[in-house]
Amino acid sequence: MIEFDRVSRRFADRDALRNLSLTIPTGEMAFLTGHSGAGKSTLLRLLLLLDRPTGGEIRIQGDRTSQIMGRAVAPYRRRFGIVFQEHQLLFDRTVYDNVALPLEIAGFSPRDTARRVRAALDKVGLLARERAYPASLSGGEQQRVGIARAVVARPEFLVADEPTGNLDPRLSLEIMSLFEAFNQVGVTVLVATHDMSLISRFRHRVITLESGHLAEAEVPL
Amino acid sequence: MSRAEPGLSDNWGRWSAWRAQHKVAMISSWQRVVARPGATWLTWLVLAISLALPSATLLTLDSVRQVTHALGGAPQVSVLLHIEAELSDALALQRRVDAWPEVAKAVLIDREQALAEFTENSGFKDLVDTLAYNPLPYTLLVKPVEGSDITVVRQLSAQLEADASAARVIVDAQWIERLEQLLHLGSRWVEGLGGAMILGAILVVANTLRLSIDACREEIIVVRLLGGSDAFARRPFLYAGLWYGVGGGIVAAVLVWGFGLWLSGPLNALLLLYDQPAQPLWLDPQYLIALLFGAATLGWLASWWVTKRFLSRLDSA
Repeated sequence: MIEFDRVSRRFADRDALRNLSLTIPTGEMAFLTGHSGAGKSTLLRLLLLLDRPTGGEIRIQGDRTSQIMGRAVAPYRRRFGIVFQEHQLLFDRTVYDNVALPLEIAGFSPRDTARRVRAALDKVGLLARERAYPASLSGGEQQRVGIARAVVARPEFLVADEPTGNLDPRLSLEIMSLFEAFNQVGVTVLVATHDMSLISRFRHRVITLESGHLAEAEVPL
Repeated sequence: MSRAEPGLSDNWGRWSAWRAQHKVAMISSWQRVVARPGATWLTWLVLAISLALPSATLLTLDSVRQVTHALGGAPQVSVLLHIEAELSDALALQRRVDAWPEVAKAVLIDREQALAEFTENSGFKDLVDTLAYNPLPYTLLVKPVEGSDITVVRQLSAQLEADASAARVIVDAQWIERLEQLLHLGSRWVEGLGGAMILGAILVVANTLRLSIDACREEIIVVRLLGGSDAFARRPFLYAGLWYGVGGGIVAAVLVWGFGLWLSGPLNALLLLYDQPAQPLWLDPQYLIALLFGAATLGWLASWWVTKRFLSRLDSA
């Protein structure tokens, strides 16, 4: 369970988040939406401890993240699978090596790594391209490599920041369906996106941010 | 889907994981170092020259010092007694001086014997015959104990001068003293210069690494986002620093060895002139290990410093 308890993030010139309280139960899939500048990125940065709140508390499975400092930050981040808009792939490594990176970080054995990487690539439909370099892949394929990397270590949470930003509607739908598939096997998924037409095709909770606070939380039937 | 912990699925423990990560970092950093041969050789050479120059100079000074120790090992002190001193006075002085702890041996030269030898060797027999008395005094040759340095010899000579029966004390060690001072000056000079050059070497390695880290900026950011620890993000660069250091150390050893070979001709000729056995100006293994180890440490330190700075700048950004 992810809990934001009256969380604020104040910058010198503006409040990015104001007294934001919200709960995402374990196993839920939610969309985080709002105009640019509404606080989506700030919320994700706070969740991943890339930034710290100026007020309030964020709790993960009941643990206060303000207590997670220094060396504890890296293991904390390993509980998340992260998908970026810009993919953030390493272009001097093959698809296989990119996907294997979280396992290398976590210290998996080569045998285990190979099994998991192939399973993750298979799930995103890129098993045949494991020896390719990211530069030779299309935008949609690169994003799928990013998703494979995010799920390969079987994280508790999957967090995506504008994962379909650069993709056409058909590919976007494909990517979202992938997230949904991971959610169906129990991963808590939070996807930040401003693509309302895409969101409307799924029946998941929508969290809308408006100038740093919750505008409405709508749960489709 | 359950959260997986490493080590639970098979017998792959923490230690194996740690070793595997080091192996990957070692290999990947080596591949990166050799992927840019131009920059790498430049770094190796700068590091090698910075280490080889002071090393070679110290090596030369060491050799010269060995010569002066061999020559100056026994700076003898000659004590000329008063001309009117009798044999009994001379023997008494010899006994006294012989008992001093800093004296290895005191040899008395009989004045009659000295005159006889002088007459025989000099060829001035006629002249000597005209003398009404023996102009040579009793002479005591005082040999300090092995390993005495020049200050001990100076003290000894002052003690001897204070003795009533001594007319004159001669220490034939001034040139050795001067040479030792020069060598001392040389050592200081090399130490100062060497320190500056080693600092320069650290800066060069640091700068090379800074550039390669800047090139890998994205990678480090991604690794940290994926939950890689700072140690994990730094590891390839620490190894790269080590490779720069080890490479520089090897090139430095080769340079010093070549320099030694080049110097050994004239040096051995010089040694021969002082009746010293010729010696190869060689790096003994201990020195070689120290050079390699020192260079590796320098490289590692430089990269430790650069990565530390890089990560703390990333955190404050």
